[in-house]
Amino acid sequence: MRQRRAIRAVAGATFVVLLAASLPGWAQESVAVRAMMTKEPLPLDDPNAAAWNSAPQAQFPLSPQVHWQNRIQEVTVKDVKVRALNDGQRVAVLLEYTDPTEDPADAAALEFMVGDKKAHFAHGQPMAQVQGGPVNIWFWRNKDGKGVDMSAMGFGTLKTQSHQDVTAKGAYANGTWKVVFSRAMTTEHPDEDMQLKPGEFINIAFAVWDGRKDGAGDLVEKGSQKAVSSWWYFRAEAPPDYSGYIYAALATGVALAFQFVLIRKLRKGHSA
Amino acid sequence: MGALTKPIILLVVIYLLLKFVVPNIPGSAPLPSSLIFLYLMLTMAGIVIYYTMSGESKDAFWGPIQRFLTGENIGALQTARYGVLILFPLLVGWQTYGSTAVSDAPPAENRTIHPAPPGEYTGLSNPVSKTPENIMQGKGFYAAFCSPCHGGNFDGKGPAARGFNPPPANFSDPTTIAMLQESYLFWRIKKGGVGLPIEGMPWKSAMPRWEVELPDEWIWKIILGEYDGAHQSPRTWE
Repeated sequence: MRQRRAIRAVAGATFVVLLAASLPGWAQESVAVRAMMTKEPLPLDDPNAAAWNSAPQAQFPLSPQVHWQNRIQEVTVKDVKVRALNDGQRVAVLLEYTDPTEDPADAAALEFMVGDKKAHFAHGQPMAQVQGGPVNIWFWRNKDGKGVDMSAMGFGTLKTQSHQDVTAKGAYANGTWKVVFSRAMTTEHPDEDMQLKPGEFINIAFAVWDGRKDGAGDLVEKGSQKAVSSWWYFRAEAPPDYSGYIYAALATGVALAFQFVLIRKLRKGHSA
Repeated sequence: MGALTKPIILLVVIYLLLKFVVPNIPGSAPLPSSLIFLYLMLTMAGIVIYYTMSGESKDAFWGPIQRFLTGENIGALQTARYGVLILFPLLVGWQTYGSTAVSDAPPAENRTIHPAPPGEYTGLSNPVSKTPENIMQGKGFYAAFCSPCHGGNFDGKGPAARGFNPPPANFSDPTTIAMLQESYLFWRIKKGGVGLPIEGMPWKSAMPRWEVELPDEWIWKIILGEYDGAHQSPRTWE
């Protein structure tokens, strides 16, 4: 009898373990830039500020832009490293990449989807079976020394917005560009501008132009001839949310109380 | 055998079947854990219904459970009982946390790799005959237009491939062009990434829309060159 019960117990325990193992897991590979929340002033004008070290660094590979003419088959910049911060009002993004020479035409850009509609990463190129939306592009060029807020819906439709909300500042040292972009997290133009809500993942893509010239004095990378990434994720981190732990503690308490009541009732029924 | 042993064995057997046997059936795939959980719950419900059909079987089924829960005269099982009484509330708490806590992970992406083509692109046969000259010409076009991403070795590892997500298709992999018909490739090359349906995530693919740059005949030749170069054959309906 005792042996049978032991077998039962082992079988029961095995079942519980197997059941637990079959429950959905959460692990997922990180493919996102996380703009950490900070109470300090954002280093909007300082790509070398110590504050950037508090944000985790994400790295994304770049490819030559081949989707559309005029394409290019080789580019200088192969990766961008990205950090970001937010203070609840503004967001600041630091791009960092290796470029052997500083040139006036060196340039970099961030691209975001606008609103709920999906947009192709190549300037929101029209898609045959999906109604796409526009993209919002934040552009910086060394010789201009400022950020430009732009919109596009397909190659050839790029235009500078009538309202400029983006700032950008670049610093070049030791073969590395560091460029800070910043903007208010929300704007009054949700049809043209990306809107950032804390805790929500949005799509981001990157582009970089090496502004060097070839032997004939022409720019090697210009316009659609650039280094690009496809879409990755971006999130402005919200203040920590502990509600999950509270709900879990409540549920555990309810389960304990249920057990207690059940056993009490069973015992009473048994003795009666 | 006690009334509890059979149900437990049944549940374990069903779990093992779903987890380890079903995925190995040809043409099958691993079941998601949520589905396995659902099947186990259904089995459990069936067992309860079965055992509560008659008063006798009901007592035989619930009796041991009641004794276990109340801890009366269960001897050595007392430890297991405490284990269950501690584990159950913790499991409930853990599940609640999992379903209510704000996820820290980016949204899951369920991309269909080979979505259905539009009707006009099904069952087309290659109008270009499979001669050595045409294959050679197709390989030449492939080298010029496709190899920067899909690779000179047809392995998806061209010099321009590294930044793209999803990565360019590897044609030497038997799960790519070997599983597809020539008409499918014709559609994908002609319309490119932007021609994909929504489940193919057309907003992420860098594949050019070659119809604006290459004549159809060149595309058909590229298809011949691609299969030959990757040592694969198109799927047929035989």
